[in-house]
Amino acid sequence: MTQNFIRLKNVGVRFTGNMNSDGLIGWLARKRSGEPASGAYAVEALKDVTIAIEQGERVGLIGLNGAGKSTLLKVMAGIYMPTSGIAETEGHVCPMFEFATGFEMHQSGRDNIRIRGLLLGMTPDEIEAKLPEIEDFTELGEFLAYPVRTYSAGMFIRLAFAVSTSINPEILLIDEVMGAGDIRFAEKAKRRMFEFMEQGKILVFSSHNFDLLKSFCARTIWLEKGRIIMDGETEKVIAKYRSSQK
Amino acid sequence: MKHSYSSADESRLLRDVIRSLLLHRVWFFIGMQDVKRRYRRSFIGPLWILLNLGVYVGAIGFVYGVMFGQDLKAFLPYLMLGFVTWGLISASMVDAGTVFISAEGYIKQFSYPKQIYILRAIVSSSMNFAMGLAAVAVLQIVLGTFEFTGWLLAIPGIVLLYMALLGQTTIFSYLGVAFRDLPHALAGVLQVVFYLTPIVFPISVLKSHNLEFVYLINPIYHLIDVVRHPILTASLAPLSSYGFVFGYVLIVYCIAWYVASRLDKKVVFLL
Repeated sequence: MTQNFIRLKNVGVRFTGNMNSDGLIGWLARKRSGEPASGAYAVEALKDVTIAIEQGERVGLIGLNGAGKSTLLKVMAGIYMPTSGIAETEGHVCPMFEFATGFEMHQSGRDNIRIRGLLLGMTPDEIEAKLPEIEDFTELGEFLAYPVRTYSAGMFIRLAFAVSTSINPEILLIDEVMGAGDIRFAEKAKRRMFEFMEQGKILVFSSHNFDLLKSFCARTIWLEKGRIIMDGETEKVIAKYRSSQK
Repeated sequence: MKHSYSSADESRLLRDVIRSLLLHRVWFFIGMQDVKRRYRRSFIGPLWILLNLGVYVGAIGFVYGVMFGQDLKAFLPYLMLGFVTWGLISASMVDAGTVFISAEGYIKQFSYPKQIYILRAIVSSSMNFAMGLAAVAVLQIVLGTFEFTGWLLAIPGIVLLYMALLGQTTIFSYLGVAFRDLPHALAGVLQVVFYLTPIVFPISVLKSHNLEFVYLINPIYHLIDVVRHPILTASLAPLSSYGFVFGYVLIVYCIAWYVASRLDKKVVFLL
């Protein structure tokens, strides 16, 4: 049995872009003149991040909005490529980042469950076997036969949440997804989420909820402006983080 | 399942491509869902493809057939087959531009390599193609010109055609993200190419005016002909056409590789 791990070495992520997206013509003009475009920007979302997470670890991420937590998780998931350094993962990655996007609007809830299941790495047989249980958990009943464009925001979350938590994760990456849906569903989701988080061989999640971090993670990483400020015992990191915010 | 991503890793793209091909269950399923969606809530569903094709071939076929003094029995299948193949080729350029854009929600939250969305697009355009080919076969049977050997001999051509499609779709799906005006520009250009390619008129028209070069240098003509010629005549297309297409595929793959290696990492940031 192979050991799962996530290892980042000197990882940097730099977004570049242009406010005045000028398309092909502008690109040609810039190529000719050699000048950078007006409105060009570059954001260093992560700078020189080195982390090693081994099998069995549960790691929390804290930091202000825009500190780079989501970017870091997306690098670990292989969605963002590092623009410098190396990122390596061993194990099946299950990302839980967004519950409000990635739907086929004109297809039924049931078909969307199938698509999401496949994209999360389930086989068609697994999906069909788990379908009744997933459907049950969403509590969407007859709505599952309707196109999802008729769904409310909360219903999207129920659907996506039910699918994502029905897989067997090896590396589980979670970005701030607690408190999904209405009160009743949120309670239920929380229980299921906790069970699910227990299953992952590696868990990395970002949260602003200190109690949650303390109860799940022995280790916490504090990010600020794309850099690691502190990486260590959750209690200590949170204490430092708190005092810095006053 | 180990994944390594580094800022300077040349083999990652190749690994992603291979991994994508192996994920056939995923892209095939999503592609088929796209087909299903296109005709959801329509009364006759995918039969629309056949109906539109029938109207098109009926109207254009009779007028152009008479205009160019063609034998309708040969001209109607020629027209239909050319048109169906053209549809597939043009989808691999124009529709390809939105491949990544329409998969944005997936690309940003799931970790599968994004090439699966290219393959998904080919699946859904292939369904139209398959329906069209079936219609051609039916037409041939009705006209009494159906030859099974011809269909068998078309297989190498279809394989070459798909190799080209894979490359073309790749190029235009990446470029479509970086240059959003591309699909619009391409739609215009392709309209011109359509009228210059022997689809609605036979090559004899160009030949009789000493305009052979118009189709001889046109890769799309050769792409169509390696499929169309065998099916219509029950013999292989001229060897030069296969050679031309093969060379074209190589060039397209070189371009596709260059474009993909430049843009692959950037796609997610450009969406």
